[in-house]
This record gives sequence, structure tokens and C-alpha cells, in this order.
Amino acid sequence: MDHQGHSQNPSMGVVGSGAQLAYGSNPYQPGQITGPPGSVVTSVGTIQSTGQPAGAQLGQHQLAYQHIHQQQQHQLQQQLQQFWSSQYQEIEKVTDFKNHSLPLARIKKIMKADEDVRMISAEAPVIFARACEMFILELTLRSWNHTEENKRRTLQKNDIAAAITRTDIFDFLVDIVPREDLKDEVLASIPRGTMPVAGPADALPYCYMPPQHPSQVGAAGVIMGKPVMDPNMYAQQ
Amino acid sequence: MADSDNDSGGAHNGGKGSEMSPREQDRFLPIANVSRIMKKALPANAKISKDAKETVQECVSEFISFITGEASDKCQREKRKTINGDDLLWAMTTLGFEDYVEPLKGYLQRFREMEGEKTVAARDKDAPPLTNATNSAYESANYAAAAAVPGGIMMHQGHVYGSAGFHQVAGGAIKGGPAYPGPGSNAGRPR
Repeated sequence: MDHQGHSQNPSMGVVGSGAQLAYGSNPYQPGQITGPPGSVVTSVGTIQSTGQPAGAQLGQHQLAYQHIHQQQQHQLQQQLQQFWSSQYQEIEKVTDFKNHSLPLARIKKIMKADEDVRMISAEAPVIFARACEMFILELTLRSWNHTEENKRRTLQKNDIAAAITRTDIFDFLVDIVPREDLKDEVLASIPRGTMPVAGPADALPYCYMPPQHPSQVGAAGVIMGKPVMDPNMYAQQ
Repeated sequence: MADSDNDSGGAHNGGKGSEMSPREQDRFLPIANVSRIMKKALPANAKISKDAKETVQECVSEFISFITGEASDKCQREKRKTINGDDLLWAMTTLGFEDYVEPLKGYLQRFREMEGEKTVAARDKDAPPLTNATNSAYESANYAAAAAVPGGIMMHQGHVYGSAGFHQVAGGAIKGGPAYPGPGSNAGRPR
């Protein structure tokens, strides 16, 4: 009897050690990801279909309006081409890198708002100053296109919302414009009454929202340690 | 927020600080600078509402964070600490802003030339010399071309790579420790 009691104590100790080992394997981390960037590509198909109102009479107005709309789009493309050409020429003339249209210190602060960003070379804010200028110009050009479609002379917030919804590379901005401005853009595309006088001919997807925070890197799950089998206990059973 | 039609064509420096706290201002570029650039894209008789200017301010900050986040992830993968100009150009290509990269390449090269003339001895080690700049840009372009997905859109909303596990791996790599840190390093953060 005393002998059996003594033999059980080492068994308990072994079981405890096994538990510790199992716990010790929990902090295991997967190997670092190598190769191409881990970004997930999400295809967003922006198919714009033209809403066909009932009646042949409306069809004629619709066709006329489509023609006007196509002219406007063609004009926008021309403006953008001129814009990019002028960027090359304008940058060629730059000789003084100290006179920026945007403050470098502020750009650096915005970059460092991300906790993961640690060190920034001196050239990075300089590049961003130029890139942000191009970004503002492109966004404004596309927004003004919507202002003109509505026969206004004042650029408004909903014009920017329209440019964001119509331009794929601006998808990351959809959270900035509120839903009301998006609704304005959608409502403006619906022909009014029997005589459409305003709004683009193309019907935009209603309240289109990109997928929210798509999961790209799966969180490492808990890896269970291998259970420890005590041969002594097994033998005793 | 109602769309206002107020005439804000003139200089509107007062608006910069009146509605934002000093710390909030740091999140955006100055509204006067943004407004001036916007006018360059518009006809002379165009007007810009104040809420439009403020919206563009927010969009620009989002653009900077968007590009910076992608460039920062690349630096971490390559175990580098400093974000440089090439990283930003690569990120812009990856995120769909290819049109911006060509003008900026020449801009970056000429900036480096001028910097080289001024501080040849004190050049930052992370900034590659001019001869390597071209190769680096070329490789970056090729890599970006291979990574680019035709017809696809690289979406990056929020910071997805901020998981603790990733940080620990990065921390271990930076410290030169083992690939699988022991239990004691669980609480450690790479810094």
C-alpha cells in the first residue's frame, strides 16, 4: 500500500510537467510570410446600365441626353490627359525643392499617425507633397465634372461624393462622404417626370458600399499541444 | 450636414482654426493650401463651398495614410526601418495610382541629385546612391507590374496587418532572436 502511494506521486509530477509543456507550446508563432505582398485583390465591377424609361417619347429624350453625357465624359478625359501632360512639364521646371505647396512637417505628422510607421526618410514628405497636389487636382477635376452636369458654378460636397463613387481608385474614400451625399448622387441620376432636364443618364448602383475591412491575414489560431500519455498509468490500468 | 452654397472664393485662412482644435488641425493639411490647389483645376469663375474644401482636406489625409500604410507594410516585410521615396512609389502603383508614379520618378531623382550635391558625406544610409536609384526604381516597377492585377482593385481599409502575432514575429526577426520566441517574449513589442 505504501509502495503504491509512492509510485503515484511521480505520475502526478509527470502529468503536471506535461501540462506545462502543453502551455509552453501556445506561444508558437507561424513563420513570417514571404513572397508577394499579402494584399487580397477584390474585384469591383462597376457596370453602369442606362435606365430606359417607358414610352418612345422618353426614349428620344434619353438618347439626346446620353449624347450630351458622352460629350461631357469625352471632355473630362481630354481634361485629364492635359492634366497629366502638364504634370510632366511642370515637374521638369522645378528647381527649388524647398518651396512646396504643402507643408512637409504636417505631411510627416500625418504619416506618423500610424503607429507602425517608425522612421521616414527626408525624401518621403517631398514626394508626398507632389503626390497630394496631383491627388487634389484629379479629385477636383472629377468633382467639377459633376458640378457642370448639374449646371452649377459652385463645387459642393456632393460633387466630391459623386467623383468618389465614379472613380475606382478612390474607393478607399467612400467612408469619408456621408450616406446622404451618396444618396444625392443616386437620386440625381433618376430622370424626373417626362422631361429629364438634370442628372446624368447613367444609373449608378444604389448605396454601393465596398466590402468592409476584408480579411486578409487570418489570425493565428491557438495550437494545441500534444497530449502526454503516461505509460506507467496505462500499464497500471 | 446641409450643403451650403456660401461664397468661399476668397482667402479663408480664418476657417482653418476656428472650427478645429489645435490637435485636430494636425490631422489635415492647411485648408488654404488645399483650396489654392483646388482652384488650379477649376475655371476662373468657379466657386468652392467650404464643406467641399473640408472634405478634400479629409480625403488628402486619408490618401497619405492609405499610401503610407502600404509602404510601411512593405518595409516591415523587408526588415527595413525607414520608409523612403521608392517605397511610396511602389505603394502608389500597387494601390492603383500608376499615373502618379511616372512624374514622381523624375521628381525624386532630381531631388536626390540636389541632396547629393549638398550633403554627399552626410547622406542617409537608407537612401540609395544615384546609380542604385535607377535600378531600384526599375526593379520596383517590374515587381509592381508582376504584382498588379489587371481589372482588379487593391483595397486596403483600416490597418489589417496590425495583429499582435505579426508584431511578435517582426520583433523577433528584428532582434535577431529565434524564429519561434519562447513564452517569455509574449508581452514584448517590436520597438
